[in-house]
Amino acid sequence: MSEHANIAARLLNRNRNRCPHKAAYLCGDDTLTHLALAAEAARFANLLRGRGVMPGDRVLLVLPDSFAAVKAFLGTMLLSACPTPVSTLLSAEEYAFVLADSGARALICAEESPALDAARAVPGVDCVLPCGLDGPWGLADFSTGFEAAPPSPDGPGFMLYSSGSTGRPKGVPHAQADLLVPGKGWGGLVLGVRADDVIFSASKLSFAYGLESSVSLPLDAGATAVLMPGKPGPYELFETIARHRPSLFFCVPTLYSMLLRAYEPNAAETDLSSVRLCFSAGEALPEGLCRQWTRATGVEILDGIGSTEACNVFISNRPGQALCGSSGQVVPGYEARLVDDDGEGVSDGTPGNLHVRGEGICSAYWNRPGKTAETMLADGWLATGDVYVRDKGFYFHKGRSDDMLKIGAHWVSPVQVEEALREHPAVLDCAVAALAVEGLVRPCAHVVPRPGFEAGPKLAAELLRFARRSLPPPQCPVRVVLVDELPKTATGKVQRFRLRQL
Amino acid sequence: MAVSVADLRALLEEAGVKPELARSLDPAAPLLRQGVDSVDFPAFCALLEERCALALDEEAVLKLRTLEDFARFLGEASCK
Repeated sequence: MSEHANIAARLLNRNRNRCPHKAAYLCGDDTLTHLALAAEAARFANLLRGRGVMPGDRVLLVLPDSFAAVKAFLGTMLLSACPTPVSTLLSAEEYAFVLADSGARALICAEESPALDAARAVPGVDCVLPCGLDGPWGLADFSTGFEAAPPSPDGPGFMLYSSGSTGRPKGVPHAQADLLVPGKGWGGLVLGVRADDVIFSASKLSFAYGLESSVSLPLDAGATAVLMPGKPGPYELFETIARHRPSLFFCVPTLYSMLLRAYEPNAAETDLSSVRLCFSAGEALPEGLCRQWTRATGVEILDGIGSTEACNVFISNRPGQALCGSSGQVVPGYEARLVDDDGEGVSDGTPGNLHVRGEGICSAYWNRPGKTAETMLADGWLATGDVYVRDKGFYFHKGRSDDMLKIGAHWVSPVQVEEALREHPAVLDCAVAALAVEGLVRPCAHVVPRPGFEAGPKLAAELLRFARRSLPPPQCPVRVVLVDELPKTATGKVQRFRLRQL
Repeated sequence: MAVSVADLRALLEEAGVKPELARSLDPAAPLLRQGVDSVDFPAFCALLEERCALALDEEAVLKLRTLEDFARFLGEASCK
Protein backbone atom coordinates (compact mmCIF):
# COMPACT_ATOMS: atom_id res chain seq x y z
CA MET A 1 0.00 0.00 0.00
CA SER A 2 1.83 3.14 -1.12
CA GLU A 3 0.85 6.55 0.16
CA HIS A 4 0.70 9.01 -2.74
CA ALA A 5 -1.44 11.76 -1.25
CA ASN A 6 -4.18 9.43 -0.12
CA ILE A 7 -5.05 10.49 3.42
CA ALA A 8 -6.48 7.12 4.48
CA ALA A 9 -3.25 5.43 3.33
CA ARG A 10 -1.19 8.00 5.17
CA LEU A 11 -3.04 7.52 8.47
CA LEU A 12 -3.24 3.73 8.21
CA ASN A 13 0.41 3.28 7.18
CA ARG A 14 1.72 5.57 9.88
CA ASN A 15 -0.15 3.80 12.67
CA ARG A 16 0.60 0.35 11.25
CA ASN A 17 4.31 1.21 11.36
CA ARG A 18 4.46 2.94 14.74
CA CYS A 19 1.99 0.91 16.80
CA PRO A 20 0.85 -2.18 14.83
CA HIS A 21 -0.36 -4.25 17.77
CA LYS A 22 -2.05 -1.48 19.68
CA ALA A 23 -5.84 -1.30 19.64
CA ALA A 24 -7.12 1.14 17.05
CA TYR A 25 -10.74 0.38 17.96
CA LEU A 26 -12.56 -1.36 20.77
CA CYS A 27 -16.12 -2.56 20.34
CA GLY A 28 -17.85 -4.73 22.94
CA ASP A 29 -15.37 -7.52 23.75
CA ASP A 30 -13.48 -7.17 20.48
CA THR A 31 -10.30 -5.35 19.53
CA LEU A 32 -9.16 -4.18 16.10
CA THR A 33 -5.44 -3.37 16.05
CA HIS A 34 -3.90 -0.72 13.83
CA LEU A 35 -2.26 -3.54 11.85
CA ALA A 36 -5.59 -5.30 11.33
CA LEU A 37 -7.35 -2.03 10.52
CA ALA A 38 -4.86 -1.30 7.71
CA ALA A 39 -5.29 -4.83 6.33
CA GLU A 40 -9.07 -4.81 6.55
CA ALA A 41 -9.40 -1.36 4.96
CA ALA A 42 -7.26 -2.61 2.05
CA ARG A 43 -9.52 -5.65 1.74
CA PHE A 44 -12.53 -3.35 1.63
CA ALA A 45 -10.93 -1.29 -1.12
CA ASN A 46 -10.24 -4.45 -3.14
CA LEU A 47 -13.79 -5.67 -2.60
CA LEU A 48 -15.30 -2.39 -3.78
CA ARG A 49 -13.02 -2.22 -6.80
CA GLY A 50 -13.99 -5.79 -7.62
CA ARG A 51 -17.64 -4.75 -7.52
CA GLY A 52 -17.05 -1.97 -10.03
CA VAL A 53 -16.70 1.02 -7.69
CA MET A 54 -14.36 3.61 -9.21
CA PRO A 55 -12.45 6.63 -7.80
CA GLY A 56 -14.86 9.52 -7.35
CA ASP A 57 -17.93 7.28 -6.92
CA ARG A 58 -20.07 7.99 -3.88
CA VAL A 59 -20.46 5.04 -1.51
CA LEU A 60 -23.31 5.45 0.97
CA LEU A 61 -22.49 3.91 4.35
CA VAL A 62 -25.50 3.15 6.53
CA LEU A 63 -23.73 1.40 9.36
CA PRO A 64 -23.82 1.53 13.15
CA ASP A 65 -20.58 2.60 14.84
CA SER A 66 -18.62 -0.63 14.42
CA PHE A 67 -15.43 -2.09 13.00
CA ALA A 68 -17.28 -2.44 9.69
CA ALA A 69 -18.02 1.30 9.63
CA VAL A 70 -14.38 2.38 9.99
CA LYS A 71 -13.12 -0.33 7.64
CA ALA A 72 -15.66 0.72 5.01
CA PHE A 73 -14.98 4.44 5.46
CA LEU A 74 -11.21 4.06 5.18
CA GLY A 75 -11.36 1.36 2.50
CA THR A 76 -13.55 3.58 0.33
CA MET A 77 -11.09 6.42 0.83
CA LEU A 78 -8.14 4.17 -0.13
CA LEU A 79 -9.88 3.65 -3.45
CA SER A 80 -10.41 7.43 -3.62
CA ALA A 81 -14.10 6.84 -3.90
CA CYS A 82 -16.22 9.05 -1.63
CA PRO A 83 -17.45 7.50 1.63
CA THR A 84 -20.76 9.09 2.59
CA PRO A 85 -21.81 7.93 6.05
CA VAL A 86 -25.42 8.64 6.99
CA SER A 87 -27.48 7.86 10.07
CA THR A 88 -28.93 4.38 10.52
CA LEU A 89 -32.19 5.97 11.71
CA LEU A 90 -33.51 7.41 8.45
CA SER A 91 -36.66 6.20 6.70
CA ALA A 92 -36.65 4.35 3.37
CA GLU A 93 -37.87 7.54 1.72
CA GLU A 94 -34.99 9.54 3.20
CA TYR A 95 -32.46 6.91 2.09
CA ALA A 96 -33.92 7.02 -1.43
CA PHE A 97 -33.48 10.80 -1.43
CA VAL A 98 -29.86 10.67 -0.22
CA LEU A 99 -28.96 7.85 -2.63
CA ALA A 100 -30.38 9.81 -5.55
CA ASP A 101 -29.07 13.20 -4.41
CA SER A 102 -25.52 11.94 -3.91
CA GLY A 103 -25.63 9.90 -7.12
CA ALA A 104 -24.38 6.95 -5.10
CA ARG A 105 -22.82 4.07 -6.99
CA ALA A 106 -22.76 1.78 -3.98
CA LEU A 107 -24.61 1.19 -0.73
CA ILE A 108 -23.17 -0.61 2.28
CA CYS A 109 -25.69 -1.20 5.03
CA ALA A 110 -26.95 -3.64 7.65
CA GLU A 111 -29.05 -6.52 6.35
CA GLU A 112 -32.23 -5.23 7.97
CA SER A 113 -31.79 -1.58 6.91
CA PRO A 114 -34.64 0.14 5.03
CA ALA A 115 -31.88 1.53 2.79
CA LEU A 116 -31.83 -1.85 1.00
CA ASP A 117 -35.39 -1.41 -0.24
CA ALA A 118 -34.73 2.22 -1.07
CA ALA A 119 -31.73 1.32 -3.23
CA ARG A 120 -33.85 -0.91 -5.50
CA ALA A 121 -35.85 2.11 -6.61
CA VAL A 122 -32.88 4.40 -7.26
CA PRO A 123 -31.18 4.12 -10.65
CA GLY A 124 -27.38 3.93 -10.67
CA VAL A 125 -26.88 2.11 -7.35
CA ASP A 126 -25.03 -0.82 -8.93
CA CYS A 127 -23.40 -2.27 -5.84
CA VAL A 128 -25.42 -3.13 -2.74
CA LEU A 129 -23.48 -4.75 0.05
CA PRO A 130 -25.26 -6.05 3.18
CA CYS A 131 -22.85 -5.84 6.07
CA GLY A 132 -22.51 -7.10 9.66
CA LEU A 133 -20.76 -5.35 12.55
CA ASP A 134 -17.37 -6.75 11.48
CA GLY A 135 -17.77 -6.34 7.72
CA PRO A 136 -19.53 -7.92 4.76
CA TRP A 137 -19.51 -11.65 4.14
CA GLY A 138 -16.45 -12.74 2.14
CA LEU A 139 -14.27 -9.73 3.07
CA ALA A 140 -11.50 -12.04 4.33
CA ASP A 141 -11.11 -13.50 0.82
CA PHE A 142 -9.70 -10.26 -0.51
CA SER A 143 -6.04 -9.26 -0.51
CA THR A 144 -4.59 -7.06 2.24
CA GLY A 145 -2.43 -5.33 -0.34
CA PHE A 146 -3.82 -2.29 -2.09
CA GLU A 147 -2.13 0.41 -4.12
CA ALA A 148 -3.97 3.47 -2.79
CA ALA A 149 -5.24 5.85 -5.42
CA PRO A 150 -4.49 9.58 -5.15
CA PRO A 151 -7.54 11.66 -4.24
CA SER A 152 -9.84 12.23 -7.18
CA PRO A 153 -9.41 15.84 -8.38
CA ASP A 154 -12.99 16.01 -9.62
CA GLY A 155 -14.88 14.60 -6.67
CA PRO A 156 -15.11 14.96 -2.89
CA GLY A 157 -12.88 12.92 -0.61
CA PHE A 158 -15.78 12.19 1.72
CA MET A 159 -19.23 13.62 2.24
CA LEU A 160 -21.65 14.09 5.12
CA TYR A 161 -25.32 14.98 5.04
CA SER A 162 -26.78 17.77 7.14
CA SER A 163 -30.46 18.64 7.54
CA GLY A 164 -31.66 21.55 5.47
CA SER A 165 -34.19 24.23 6.36
CA THR A 166 -36.73 22.73 3.96
CA GLY A 167 -36.37 19.37 5.65
CA ARG A 168 -34.34 17.82 2.83
CA PRO A 169 -30.77 17.04 3.85
CA LYS A 170 -27.91 18.59 1.90
CA GLY A 171 -24.60 17.00 1.02
CA VAL A 172 -21.50 18.60 2.56
CA PRO A 173 -18.49 17.45 0.54
CA HIS A 174 -14.98 17.55 1.95
CA ALA A 175 -11.52 16.95 0.57
CA GLN A 176 -9.72 13.90 1.98
CA ALA A 177 -7.20 16.20 3.67
CA ASP A 178 -9.99 17.83 5.71
CA LEU A 179 -10.01 14.69 7.83
CA LEU A 180 -6.63 15.73 9.21
CA VAL A 181 -7.66 19.23 10.30
CA PRO A 182 -9.40 18.33 13.63
CA GLY A 183 -6.19 16.71 14.86
CA LYS A 184 -4.25 19.95 14.50
CA GLY A 185 -5.66 22.95 16.41
CA TRP A 186 -8.61 21.44 18.25
CA GLY A 187 -7.31 17.95 18.95
CA GLY A 188 -3.61 18.77 19.26
CA LEU A 189 -3.40 22.25 20.75
CA VAL A 190 -6.72 22.55 22.62
CA LEU A 191 -7.49 19.04 23.87
CA GLY A 192 -3.92 17.74 23.80
CA VAL A 193 -4.95 14.34 22.40
CA ARG A 194 -2.13 11.85 22.96
CA ALA A 195 -1.26 8.41 21.65
CA ASP A 196 -2.15 6.88 25.02
CA ASP A 197 -5.65 8.37 25.01
CA VAL A 198 -8.72 6.19 24.74
CA ILE A 199 -11.45 8.20 23.03
CA PHE A 200 -15.16 7.51 23.30
CA SER A 201 -17.79 9.48 21.41
CA ALA A 202 -21.49 9.07 22.08
CA SER A 203 -22.14 10.94 18.86
CA LYS A 204 -22.20 8.57 15.89
CA LEU A 205 -19.64 8.80 13.12
CA SER A 206 -22.29 9.59 10.52
CA PHE A 207 -22.27 13.05 12.17
CA ALA A 208 -19.31 15.37 11.73
CA TYR A 209 -18.75 15.54 15.51
CA GLY A 210 -18.65 11.74 15.73
CA LEU A 211 -16.43 11.39 12.67
CA GLU A 212 -14.00 13.93 14.10
CA SER A 213 -13.82 12.29 17.51
CA SER A 214 -14.00 8.61 16.46
CA VAL A 215 -11.87 8.75 13.29
CA SER A 216 -9.88 12.00 12.87
CA LEU A 217 -8.58 12.46 16.40
CA PRO A 218 -7.65 8.85 17.27
CA LEU A 219 -6.07 8.03 13.90
CA ASP A 220 -4.16 11.29 13.81
CA ALA A 221 -2.73 10.70 17.29
CA GLY A 222 -2.30 6.93 16.94
CA ALA A 223 -4.68 6.55 19.87
CA THR A 224 -7.52 4.11 20.56
CA ALA A 225 -11.22 4.76 20.05
CA VAL A 226 -14.24 3.00 21.48
CA LEU A 227 -17.18 2.26 19.20
CA MET A 228 -20.68 1.64 20.48
CA PRO A 229 -23.10 0.30 17.87
CA GLY A 230 -26.30 0.67 19.90
CA LYS A 231 -28.48 3.54 21.02
CA PRO A 232 -26.53 5.76 23.41
CA GLY A 233 -28.80 5.81 26.44
CA PRO A 234 -27.32 7.03 29.73
CA TYR A 235 -26.96 3.60 31.33
CA GLU A 236 -25.51 2.08 28.14
CA LEU A 237 -22.97 4.90 27.95
CA PHE A 238 -21.92 4.41 31.57
CA GLU A 239 -21.59 0.66 30.96
CA THR A 240 -19.30 1.29 27.98
CA ILE A 241 -17.25 3.82 29.95
CA ALA A 242 -16.86 1.37 32.85
CA ARG A 243 -15.81 -1.39 30.45
CA HIS A 244 -13.32 0.48 28.26
CA ARG A 245 -12.21 3.25 30.63
CA PRO A 246 -11.83 6.08 28.09
CA SER A 247 -9.70 9.12 28.94
CA LEU A 248 -11.62 11.49 26.63
CA PHE A 249 -15.39 11.47 26.37
CA PHE A 250 -17.32 13.32 23.66
CA CYS A 251 -21.05 13.77 24.05
CA VAL A 252 -23.92 16.23 23.57
CA PRO A 253 -25.74 18.32 26.22
CA THR A 254 -29.02 16.39 25.96
CA LEU A 255 -27.18 13.21 26.88
CA TYR A 256 -25.02 14.89 29.51
CA SER A 257 -28.21 15.95 31.31
CA MET A 258 -29.47 12.34 31.22
CA LEU A 259 -26.07 11.00 32.32
CA LEU A 260 -26.09 13.38 35.24
CA ARG A 261 -29.50 12.09 36.33
CA ALA A 262 -28.18 8.54 36.14
CA TYR A 263 -24.87 9.32 37.87
CA GLU A 264 -24.26 7.79 41.31
CA PRO A 265 -21.16 9.07 43.12
CA ASN A 266 -18.77 6.25 44.05
CA ALA A 267 -20.78 3.60 42.20
CA ALA A 268 -18.81 1.21 39.98
CA GLU A 269 -21.57 1.31 37.35
CA THR A 270 -21.13 5.05 36.80
CA ASP A 271 -17.38 5.25 37.37
CA LEU A 272 -15.79 8.16 35.51
CA SER A 273 -12.35 7.91 37.12
CA SER A 274 -10.66 7.11 33.79
CA VAL A 275 -11.98 10.26 32.10
CA ARG A 276 -9.58 13.21 32.15
CA LEU A 277 -11.81 15.45 30.03
CA CYS A 278 -15.39 15.60 28.80
CA PHE A 279 -16.23 17.53 25.66
CA SER A 280 -19.63 18.85 24.66
CA ALA A 281 -20.79 20.07 21.26
CA GLY A 282 -23.77 19.73 18.96
CA GLU A 283 -25.86 22.29 20.84
CA ALA A 284 -25.00 24.94 23.39
CA LEU A 285 -24.17 23.50 26.81
CA PRO A 286 -26.36 25.23 29.41
CA GLU A 287 -24.39 26.99 32.10
CA GLY A 288 -26.21 25.16 34.90
CA LEU A 289 -25.58 21.75 33.37
CA CYS A 290 -21.91 22.59 32.90
CA ARG A 291 -21.54 23.62 36.55
CA GLN A 292 -23.57 20.76 37.93
CA TRP A 293 -21.68 18.18 35.85
CA THR A 294 -18.30 19.37 37.08
CA ARG A 295 -19.52 19.63 40.67
CA ALA A 296 -21.13 16.18 40.73
CA THR A 297 -18.57 14.17 38.77
CA GLY A 298 -15.38 16.11 39.38
CA VAL A 299 -14.57 15.86 35.67
CA GLU A 300 -14.06 19.03 33.69
CA ILE A 301 -16.45 19.56 30.79
CA LEU A 302 -15.53 21.76 27.84
CA ASP A 303 -18.14 23.24 25.55
CA GLY A 304 -17.40 24.03 21.92
CA ILE A 305 -19.05 24.64 18.60
CA GLY A 306 -18.25 23.26 15.19
CA SER A 307 -20.21 22.34 12.12
CA THR A 308 -20.56 19.79 9.36
CA GLU A 309 -19.30 22.40 6.91
CA ALA A 310 -16.07 22.79 8.90
CA CYS A 311 -15.94 19.12 9.91
CA ASN A 312 -14.25 20.43 13.01
CA VAL A 313 -14.74 22.43 16.19
CA PHE A 314 -13.79 26.07 15.60
CA ILE A 315 -14.60 27.63 18.97
CA SER A 316 -13.78 25.74 22.13
CA ASN A 317 -13.07 26.07 25.80
CA ARG A 318 -9.59 25.11 26.99
CA PRO A 319 -8.74 22.56 29.69
CA GLY A 320 -8.25 24.29 33.01
CA GLN A 321 -9.83 27.52 31.74
CA ALA A 322 -13.38 26.47 30.96
CA LEU A 323 -16.02 29.17 31.28
CA CYS A 324 -19.45 27.63 31.83
CA GLY A 325 -22.11 29.28 29.65
CA SER A 326 -19.59 30.08 26.93
CA SER A 327 -18.62 28.09 23.83
CA GLY A 328 -15.05 29.20 24.52
CA GLN A 329 -12.42 30.90 22.39
CA VAL A 330 -11.46 30.61 18.75
CA VAL A 331 -9.50 27.44 18.00
CA PRO A 332 -6.01 27.95 16.52
CA GLY A 333 -6.23 27.81 12.74
CA TYR A 334 -9.57 29.65 12.58
CA GLU A 335 -10.69 33.24 12.44
CA ALA A 336 -14.11 34.31 13.67
CA ARG A 337 -16.09 37.50 13.19
CA LEU A 338 -19.47 38.72 14.41
CA VAL A 339 -21.46 40.84 11.98
CA ASP A 340 -24.87 42.49 11.90
CA ASP A 341 -27.45 41.74 9.20
CA ASP A 342 -25.73 44.23 6.88
CA GLY A 343 -22.41 42.45 7.24
CA GLU A 344 -20.84 45.12 9.44
CA GLY A 345 -18.73 43.99 12.38
CA VAL A 346 -20.24 44.38 15.86
CA SER A 347 -18.39 45.29 19.02
CA ASP A 348 -17.97 43.15 22.13
CA GLY A 349 -21.23 42.73 23.99
CA THR A 350 -23.42 43.15 20.90
CA PRO A 351 -25.06 40.08 19.36
CA GLY A 352 -23.86 39.30 15.86
CA ASN A 353 -23.99 36.56 13.23
CA LEU A 354 -21.02 34.24 13.58
CA HIS A 355 -18.81 33.80 10.51
CA VAL A 356 -15.70 31.61 10.61
CA ARG A 357 -12.93 30.78 8.21
CA GLY A 358 -10.01 28.42 8.25
CA GLU A 359 -8.57 25.27 6.82
CA GLY A 360 -10.88 22.43 5.86
CA ILE A 361 -14.17 24.31 5.51
CA CYS A 362 -16.18 22.97 2.59
CA SER A 363 -16.41 25.43 -0.27
CA ALA A 364 -19.81 24.40 -1.69
CA TYR A 365 -22.75 22.16 -0.85
CA TRP A 366 -23.41 19.22 -3.11
CA ASN A 367 -25.60 20.48 -5.96
CA ARG A 368 -27.07 23.36 -3.91
CA PRO A 369 -25.83 26.57 -5.56
CA GLY A 370 -28.47 28.73 -3.87
CA LYS A 371 -27.70 27.50 -0.38
CA THR A 372 -23.97 27.65 -1.13
CA ALA A 373 -24.23 31.32 -2.06
CA GLU A 374 -26.06 32.07 1.22
CA THR A 375 -23.58 30.21 3.41
CA MET A 376 -20.15 30.13 1.79
CA LEU A 377 -19.25 33.80 1.52
CA ALA A 378 -16.49 35.72 -0.21
CA ASP A 379 -12.92 35.28 1.04
CA GLY A 380 -13.60 31.90 2.56
CA TRP A 381 -16.00 32.99 5.32
CA LEU A 382 -18.66 30.53 6.43
CA ALA A 383 -21.96 31.92 7.74
CA THR A 384 -22.78 29.53 10.59
CA GLY A 385 -26.34 30.76 11.19
CA ASP A 386 -25.54 31.12 14.90
CA VAL A 387 -25.87 34.34 16.82
CA TYR A 388 -23.15 35.03 19.38
CA VAL A 389 -21.93 37.68 21.76
CA ARG A 390 -18.18 38.04 22.29
CA ASP A 391 -16.70 39.20 25.56
CA LYS A 392 -12.95 39.30 26.23
CA GLY A 393 -12.31 36.64 23.58
CA PHE A 394 -15.03 34.26 24.83
CA TYR A 395 -18.06 33.54 22.66
CA PHE A 396 -21.57 33.17 24.14
CA HIS A 397 -24.31 31.50 22.11
CA LYS A 398 -27.50 33.54 21.78
CA GLY A 399 -29.54 31.46 19.36
CA ARG A 400 -30.03 31.04 15.64
CA SER A 401 -30.54 33.59 12.91
CA ASP A 402 -32.88 31.19 11.10
CA ASP A 403 -35.70 28.87 12.18
CA MET A 404 -33.53 25.74 12.45
CA LEU A 405 -33.35 24.01 15.82
CA LYS A 406 -30.34 22.09 17.10
CA ILE A 407 -31.65 19.28 19.26
CA GLY A 408 -29.15 16.85 20.74
CA ALA A 409 -26.70 17.59 17.89
CA HIS A 410 -29.39 16.93 15.25
CA TRP A 411 -30.56 19.72 13.01
CA VAL A 412 -34.32 19.86 13.10
CA SER A 413 -36.25 21.78 10.49
CA PRO A 414 -39.59 23.10 11.82
CA VAL A 415 -41.02 22.33 8.37
CA GLN A 416 -40.55 18.58 8.82
CA VAL A 417 -42.27 18.56 12.21
CA GLU A 418 -45.10 20.73 10.94
CA GLU A 419 -45.65 18.45 7.94
CA ALA A 420 -45.92 15.44 10.24
CA LEU A 421 -48.38 17.19 12.58
CA ARG A 422 -50.59 18.30 9.69
CA GLU A 423 -51.27 14.62 9.01
CA HIS A 424 -53.40 14.58 12.17
CA PRO A 425 -57.07 15.31 11.43
CA ALA A 426 -57.34 17.78 14.31
CA VAL A 427 -54.57 20.05 13.00
CA LEU A 428 -55.75 22.93 10.85
CA ASP A 429 -52.47 24.80 10.94
CA CYS A 430 -49.29 24.69 12.99
CA ALA A 431 -45.87 26.20 13.46
CA VAL A 432 -42.91 24.81 15.36
CA ALA A 433 -40.47 27.01 17.26
CA ALA A 434 -37.83 26.71 19.95
CA LEU A 435 -38.70 26.32 23.63
CA ALA A 436 -36.05 26.30 26.34
CA VAL A 437 -36.40 23.44 28.82
CA GLU A 438 -33.68 23.03 31.43
CA GLY A 439 -31.59 25.42 29.34
CA LEU A 440 -31.77 23.22 26.22
CA VAL A 441 -33.64 23.99 23.01
CA ARG A 442 -36.65 21.76 22.30
CA PRO A 443 -39.34 21.83 19.63
CA CYS A 444 -42.66 23.32 20.70
CA ALA A 445 -45.67 22.99 18.40
CA HIS A 446 -48.17 25.83 18.20
CA VAL A 447 -51.33 24.30 16.77
CA VAL A 448 -54.56 25.78 15.48
CA PRO A 449 -57.17 23.02 15.96
CA ARG A 450 -59.64 22.25 13.21
CA PRO A 451 -63.24 23.28 14.05
CA GLY A 452 -65.03 20.44 15.81
CA PHE A 453 -62.00 19.39 17.86
CA GLU A 454 -61.94 20.54 21.45
CA ALA A 455 -58.83 22.57 22.29
CA GLY A 456 -57.80 21.08 25.61
CA PRO A 457 -55.11 19.03 27.38
CA LYS A 458 -56.44 15.80 25.88
CA LEU A 459 -55.89 17.01 22.35
CA ALA A 460 -52.43 18.36 23.22
CA ALA A 461 -51.45 14.98 24.71
CA GLU A 462 -52.85 13.15 21.70
CA LEU A 463 -50.79 15.33 19.34
CA LEU A 464 -47.62 14.75 21.39
CA ARG A 465 -48.15 11.00 21.19
CA PHE A 466 -49.03 11.21 17.49
CA ALA A 467 -45.73 13.01 16.81
CA ARG A 468 -43.81 10.37 18.73
CA ARG A 469 -45.28 7.65 16.56
CA SER A 470 -44.27 9.37 13.34
CA LEU A 471 -41.07 11.30 14.03
CA PRO A 472 -37.56 10.44 15.31
CA PRO A 473 -36.94 11.60 18.92
CA PRO A 474 -35.07 14.86 18.20
CA GLN A 475 -37.97 16.09 16.05
CA CYS A 476 -40.70 15.27 18.56
CA PRO A 477 -42.31 18.36 20.11
CA VAL A 478 -42.11 18.35 23.90
CA ARG A 479 -45.07 20.67 24.17
CA VAL A 480 -48.18 21.52 22.17
CA VAL A 481 -49.70 24.96 22.60
CA LEU A 482 -53.21 25.25 21.19
CA VAL A 483 -53.88 28.68 19.70
CA ASP A 484 -56.59 30.45 17.72
CA GLU A 485 -54.20 31.73 15.07
CA LEU A 486 -50.51 31.89 14.20
CA PRO A 487 -48.52 35.09 13.79
CA LYS A 488 -48.08 35.71 10.07
CA THR A 489 -46.68 38.32 7.73
CA ALA A 490 -48.92 40.27 5.39
CA THR A 491 -48.11 37.70 2.72
CA GLY A 492 -49.19 34.85 4.98
CA LYS A 493 -45.77 33.52 5.97
CA VAL A 494 -45.61 32.20 9.51
CA GLN A 495 -43.35 34.26 11.80
CA ARG A 496 -41.82 31.47 13.82
CA PHE A 497 -39.40 33.83 15.54
CA ARG A 498 -42.37 35.38 17.37
CA LEU A 499 -43.17 31.99 18.86
CA ARG A 500 -39.71 31.30 20.28
CA GLN A 501 -39.60 30.92 24.07
CA LEU A 502 -35.92 31.02 24.98
CA MET B 1 -49.39 22.91 48.15
CA ALA B 2 -48.52 19.23 48.02
CA VAL B 3 -48.36 17.41 44.72
CA SER B 4 -49.07 13.71 44.86
CA VAL B 5 -47.45 10.97 42.84
CA ALA B 6 -50.87 10.38 41.28
CA ASP B 7 -50.94 14.01 40.11
CA LEU B 8 -47.52 13.53 38.56
CA ARG B 9 -48.59 10.36 36.77
CA ALA B 10 -51.49 12.30 35.27
CA LEU B 11 -49.11 15.07 34.21
CA LEU B 12 -46.79 12.53 32.60
CA GLU B 13 -49.70 11.22 30.54
CA GLU B 14 -50.63 14.75 29.60
CA ALA B 15 -47.02 15.32 28.54
CA GLY B 16 -47.41 12.55 26.00
CA VAL B 17 -45.92 9.66 27.96
CA LYS B 18 -47.67 6.38 27.18
CA PRO B 19 -50.42 5.90 29.79
CA GLU B 20 -49.36 2.33 30.58
CA LEU B 21 -45.82 3.54 31.29
CA ALA B 22 -46.96 6.49 33.41
CA ARG B 23 -49.21 4.25 35.51
CA SER B 24 -46.59 1.55 36.05
CA LEU B 25 -43.74 3.79 37.22
CA ASP B 26 -42.17 2.97 40.57
CA PRO B 27 -42.21 6.36 42.33
CA ALA B 28 -38.98 5.59 44.21
CA ALA B 29 -36.95 4.42 41.19
CA PRO B 30 -35.13 6.60 38.64
CA LEU B 31 -37.44 7.55 35.78
CA LEU B 32 -34.69 7.00 33.21
CA ARG B 33 -34.33 3.41 34.40
CA GLN B 34 -38.00 2.78 33.70
CA GLY B 35 -38.31 3.84 30.08
CA VAL B 36 -38.85 7.59 30.45
CA ASP B 37 -36.70 8.90 27.60
CA SER B 38 -35.04 12.01 26.17
CA VAL B 39 -38.38 13.30 24.84
CA ASP B 40 -40.53 12.37 27.84
CA PHE B 41 -38.30 14.08 30.39
CA PRO B 42 -38.28 17.58 28.89
CA ALA B 43 -41.96 17.26 27.97
CA PHE B 44 -42.73 16.50 31.61
CA CYS B 45 -40.54 19.38 32.84
CA ALA B 46 -42.09 21.83 30.34
CA LEU B 47 -45.58 20.90 31.48
CA LEU B 48 -44.62 21.22 35.14
CA GLU B 49 -43.27 24.71 34.51
CA GLU B 50 -46.52 25.68 32.79
CA ARG B 51 -48.85 24.14 35.37
CA CYS B 52 -46.91 25.23 38.40
CA ALA B 53 -46.19 28.65 36.92
CA LEU B 54 -42.58 28.38 37.91
CA ALA B 55 -39.24 28.40 36.17
CA LEU B 56 -37.46 25.22 37.18
CA ASP B 57 -33.96 25.97 38.34
CA GLU B 58 -31.63 24.33 35.82
CA GLU B 59 -29.22 22.96 38.37
CA ALA B 60 -31.83 21.92 40.92
CA VAL B 61 -33.98 20.06 38.44
CA LEU B 62 -31.01 18.01 37.23
CA LYS B 63 -30.99 16.34 40.65
CA LEU B 64 -34.59 15.13 40.33
CA ARG B 65 -34.61 11.50 39.27
CA THR B 66 -37.72 9.87 40.68
CA LEU B 67 -41.38 10.77 40.93
CA GLU B 68 -40.88 11.10 44.68
CA ASP B 69 -38.03 13.57 44.06
CA PHE B 70 -40.35 15.66 41.88
CA ALA B 71 -43.22 15.49 44.40
CA ARG B 72 -40.94 16.64 47.21
CA PHE B 73 -39.37 19.41 45.10
CA LEU B 74 -42.72 20.72 43.87
CA GLY B 75 -44.19 20.59 47.35
CA GLU B 76 -41.46 22.90 48.53
CA ALA B 77 -41.84 25.08 45.41
CA SER B 78 -45.60 25.51 46.04
CA CYS B 79 -46.98 24.14 42.82
CA LYS B 80 -50.56 25.24 42.39
